[in-house]
Amino acid sequence: MKKTMLAELFKRREFTVTGIIIILAILFGSLSSNFLSISNITNIFIQISSIGIAAIGMTMIIVTGGIDVSAGSILGIVAVITAKAALTGLPTPLILILGITTGALLGSINGSLVSFMGIPPIIATLGTMSFFRAMVFQLLGGRWISSFPDSFRRISTGNFLNIPLPICFMFFLAIIFTYYLEYRPTGRYIYAIGNSVEAARVSGIPTKRVLLLVYIFAGMMFGISGVIVAARTGIVQTNTGAGFELAVIAATVLGGTNILGGEGSAIGSILGALLLAIITNGMILVNLPALTEGLIIGIIIIISVFTDIMKLRRRRYQYE
Amino acid sequence: MNSFFKAEKIVKKFGGVRAIKGVNFELKRGEVHALVGENGAGKSTLIKIISGVIQPNSGKLFLDSKEIKLLNPKNAHEMGIATVYQDPLIYKSLSVIENIFLGNEIKTKSGTIDWKKQEVKTKELLVSLGIKPNFINRPISSLSIGLQQLALIAKALNYLAKILIFDEPTAILTEIEAERLFKVIRKLKKQKVSILYISHRLEEIFEIADRVTVFKDGKNEGTFNVKDINRDKIVELMAGKALTENIERTMKINRAKNKLPIIEVKNISSCYYKNISFSLYPGEILGFSGLIGSGRTEVMQTLFGLIKQDEGEIFFNGNKFKVNDPSIAMEHGIVYLPADRSSEGLFSKLSVKFNISIPLLKKLKKKFLQVDREAEENLALKYIKLLKIKAPSTSTILSNLSGGNQQKVLFAKWLSTKPKVLILDKPTKGVDVEVKVEIHREIVKLAEEGVTIILVSSELPEIIKLSDRIIVMHEGTITGRFDTKETINSKNLLSAATGTRMIHAKIN
Repeated sequence: MKKTMLAELFKRREFTVTGIIIILAILFGSLSSNFLSISNITNIFIQISSIGIAAIGMTMIIVTGGIDVSAGSILGIVAVITAKAALTGLPTPLILILGITTGALLGSINGSLVSFMGIPPIIATLGTMSFFRAMVFQLLGGRWISSFPDSFRRISTGNFLNIPLPICFMFFLAIIFTYYLEYRPTGRYIYAIGNSVEAARVSGIPTKRVLLLVYIFAGMMFGISGVIVAARTGIVQTNTGAGFELAVIAATVLGGTNILGGEGSAIGSILGALLLAIITNGMILVNLPALTEGLIIGIIIIISVFTDIMKLRRRRYQYE
Repeated sequence: MNSFFKAEKIVKKFGGVRAIKGVNFELKRGEVHALVGENGAGKSTLIKIISGVIQPNSGKLFLDSKEIKLLNPKNAHEMGIATVYQDPLIYKSLSVIENIFLGNEIKTKSGTIDWKKQEVKTKELLVSLGIKPNFINRPISSLSIGLQQLALIAKALNYLAKILIFDEPTAILTEIEAERLFKVIRKLKKQKVSILYISHRLEEIFEIADRVTVFKDGKNEGTFNVKDINRDKIVELMAGKALTENIERTMKINRAKNKLPIIEVKNISSCYYKNISFSLYPGEILGFSGLIGSGRTEVMQTLFGLIKQDEGEIFFNGNKFKVNDPSIAMEHGIVYLPADRSSEGLFSKLSVKFNISIPLLKKLKKKFLQVDREAEENLALKYIKLLKIKAPSTSTILSNLSGGNQQKVLFAKWLSTKPKVLILDKPTKGVDVEVKVEIHREIVKLAEEGVTIILVSSELPEIIKLSDRIIVMHEGTITGRFDTKETINSKNLLSAATGTRMIHAKIN
């Protein structure tokens, strides 16, 4: 029994990604003395926190068989709204709540389009991506916002038990949603829907409500990422969050979430984000040209998804 | 008759497991040769080898005494070997003509498609099968499954097929459609086409085949002339032991006058059916017979809340019952076992345990509202034992089980909810004889325990054997109601199913 559990562990994607992370860490560590320093590691984790948190939301959406390409635009709107609120001197906890609520609201728009109106997720969110981005332009009026009060910046610079707040947020949310997906009935329903919407419906699962909920949760995650990004960068522009969704989807897929739905975990997606960040960071430290970074990330994503497909094929042949 | 196609000492391994263990097999010119065996006996592997989909690890294939190598399906086509699979492989939105000629188009001198010639040829092919070619310009998905299959047979003949392989062709057909298929097969036989016919329905073999080969555990248990063998002997060879298929319900229901119906359907109509009324009494097995597409399934889906009726009312225990979602039906103890287990019934990428517990999850909650994993495990183990599900563990991924065992998991999933009304839509579709018998026993046992059952089936022997009463539908309306031993027989059911006459027995 124990042996099979161990074998199962080896087969899991999270295990493979962790392995690659360790190998890369050793490689970069031996090439650059700075890489394994506490400050650099902290730096990497702060960098991935916004992508990691958003990836938790994206994981749930992709597990249902959907996708959300409007994540970057949602992040943009939330960043603008919270930045404006910060300038009015609103207390930081309220700003955070405002960001989460705005994200939930925008997520519910996506969710309604997908579940109640039955628009394919890629089309629905492609539409809202453009729409939400237009709202960012409208809200900013072509200018940018900066020089936030320190109290707002503390969302990014503050510490809890000596750990930077964004990292705390990420781990806290990862734990909450791992519990949610693994142990709560509704969490299981998400996997069921990703496997077969029809079978889920016939099993008595309120599929539309669950789908709506997933997009709302994801919107909240994108909202939290938006607040963190605004606080960390100290500036909000019309292009804040543009292209963010692609990094999030890459991290999610790299972390073992099946792009066709039905499989995936929050922890895996955060590991995926970590792996991408380590490659970026390590290559800068060992002075590799910036061009190679995109090249290597592209290759890693394709190889990792390809190995999944190969594994699946082998599995299928075995039982035919 | 001399041997036309021969397979010698074929071995095929999948990941170390030998699916076929040195099989010899021969096919004569112009014969109908049936291949039978339980699920997993190696039939499918053999036909995949013959049709070039997979290659054997060792062994030889001969056609007309010459050794042949089949590296891919195209090779097989070129040799005149074609296969008609269980679920028709079609290009849904293309017309029948396009489906027949796709990849094999007739071209004009300038290299464009010669539609006229293709149309003429399609008509010829269908006429040679005895079918009226009045549907060849329609998209193939608008045809019934039976006609789709015939179109694919025409496609195979267009390849000048000398060997035609049928993989459970009647599993998705109604009796009428099957009869038409048999006529076509007899025609093909006259044209000297050799036919390899795989089926779980043993009755068919005696109707259509000349010889039969029995497979068991990847070995050929023997080839016999159909004249020299009987059904019991075949079953014995397949299972390795004699199986009795006789179930007598010890307690036929006693629909006393004071018993009220648990469900009453009054004049419901929708675009799938018209004016449907019937009553369902506690503890009975009510059969629903008819052709595929007669609206039976849609009536059941209405009872379960998957489809809404436009008119009419449904009563549950005398109270008006508005069921616009499956969760409402489930709260009342009504569950529906769908006909299509792979897309509607089960989650094939998830574990056995997940599949069994999903409708019950909310009830398995304990501290912190989380799912009680131990209770879930025990629930799965209980039903694995009860229904004799062959699975290595409760965590096994469902798609790794055989079809019959998946069907049992589907049963377990709904039995675990302790239903009052169990709607079974073709519960033995695509399972082997042994599992079928087990499922029949389970249905009778449940009825005796007081569960009310609606059984939808396209197999007349099944529905006749199990049902207390039978309702027959044809093109969306009820065309027959039978409730006595004397009236429940295949002749009556068939004539009602084809709509040739309205039969109202004394009930209602």
